[in-house]
Amino acid sequence: MAVEVSITSEIAEKLRALPDSSAVALHLKSDQYFDAIQGMLDRFAMKKDLEVVYVTSTIPSQSIINALEVLEIPMDHIWFVDCVSQIMMSQAKRHPHAIIVESPTMLENIMLKVEFLIRGHPDRNALVVLDSINSLAIHNNTKILSEFLHILVNHLRSRGAYTVIFSMREYETDEIRNMLVLVSDDSIELGK
Amino acid sequence: MPAPEHSDDERERCVTGIDAIDHILNGGVPRGNTVLISGSVGTGKTSICIEFLVRGALNGENSLYLSVTEPTDKLLMNVIPFDFFDDKLVRQGKLQFVDLPKIYDKLGIDKEDLDFDQTRLLADTIAGIVEEQKIRRLVLDSVTSVCYRIREQERIRDFLLRLGTVLSAKGCTTLLVSEIRSSEDGYSQWGVEEALADGVIVTGNLERRGDLLRTLQIVKMRGTTHSRAKYVLDLTTSGVLLVPLLKGGSVASGG
Repeated sequence: MAVEVSITSEIAEKLRALPDSSAVALHLKSDQYFDAIQGMLDRFAMKKDLEVVYVTSTIPSQSIINALEVLEIPMDHIWFVDCVSQIMMSQAKRHPHAIIVESPTMLENIMLKVEFLIRGHPDRNALVVLDSINSLAIHNNTKILSEFLHILVNHLRSRGAYTVIFSMREYETDEIRNMLVLVSDDSIELGK
Repeated sequence: MPAPEHSDDERERCVTGIDAIDHILNGGVPRGNTVLISGSVGTGKTSICIEFLVRGALNGENSLYLSVTEPTDKLLMNVIPFDFFDDKLVRQGKLQFVDLPKIYDKLGIDKEDLDFDQTRLLADTIAGIVEEQKIRRLVLDSVTSVCYRIREQERIRDFLLRLGTVLSAKGCTTLLVSEIRSSEDGYSQWGVEEALADGVIVTGNLERRGDLLRTLQIVKMRGTTHSRAKYVLDLTTSGVLLVPLLKGGSVASGG
């Protein structure tokens, strides 16, 4: 339990130390996943009064929503762009805070849905979470993924939004690391 | 310092209100241009046109939608419920919807084929409505359906020239919807429309590895410099959104 507390606190502290509109690569292990989400959403985004746009290509949004409910994190300012539920043909009923993108290969549509959600809350600053670069890399080649990150991150930066890109250490390749170095202002290595 | 190759400051702009399109056009459609908006079914032509009119009406410009193929009641039932749409615009007459078949009836045009005089009468009648109602934004959806009734290329040319000249002189910016099949070359059914229009905006479907993306490309716009790149389009309740088409992936077939 002590480890969990330290991970949630660590990520919140490190994110708080960053200047506004930062783009951050968050390197973490699989067993730190839900603690990292909790720290980022509960301890950082809520405290900073941010609107969260959470792009999930790793697990369906409903799984994360279920975890947030258990952790008693309110959903009022958290929105999902879900790129996996449709290809997994999972559940017909969608959470009102989740927008579906048909496939993680539709990278332009991910950008469009992020933009749509940010536009819906013009008075609030945003945190955009990309979970994860590794799962997007399963479906997309490096070239198109780099182009996507470059456009998305720069667009979000111009809008004053924070970007956090998850990268699972177990699945990192040199190509992914290089891509993240290119687009990020900073890098957080959880637990190091 | 050398003068810029093109100056965008010379023409007044009709700011469409669709941010991305205004950005691509460096500030909007040059005022008074007649623009062909061309694409196959389901590519977003009508939604773009409706947003263009609603944004105009919200900005105080009288806007008119001339519907040829679909009764406006049915059209309005199926249109995207834009967050920024306000019923008041219709009640105040800032935003008007007219079925062209009703104008045909008024003019006593009952034949399938329009002759030379009827073609001119139709162009003059539309121009008259624009003048009388002080319309600043007009959409004709679709010009293809009108041209089907005119049939002869020469008469189509005359109709479009006459209409375009009069509307431009009145400072009315016009979108003409052109229906094409996805397999077709060119941007219009008769070829004349794209040649006479001041601008051509093409909407399409792009298939990439089994995904179908809606796209938009501005291939021609007189009076301004502009990007000619292809963009991916989304039709949302907050309006039409565009992002650049990513080029890194392999493209199976064009759209």
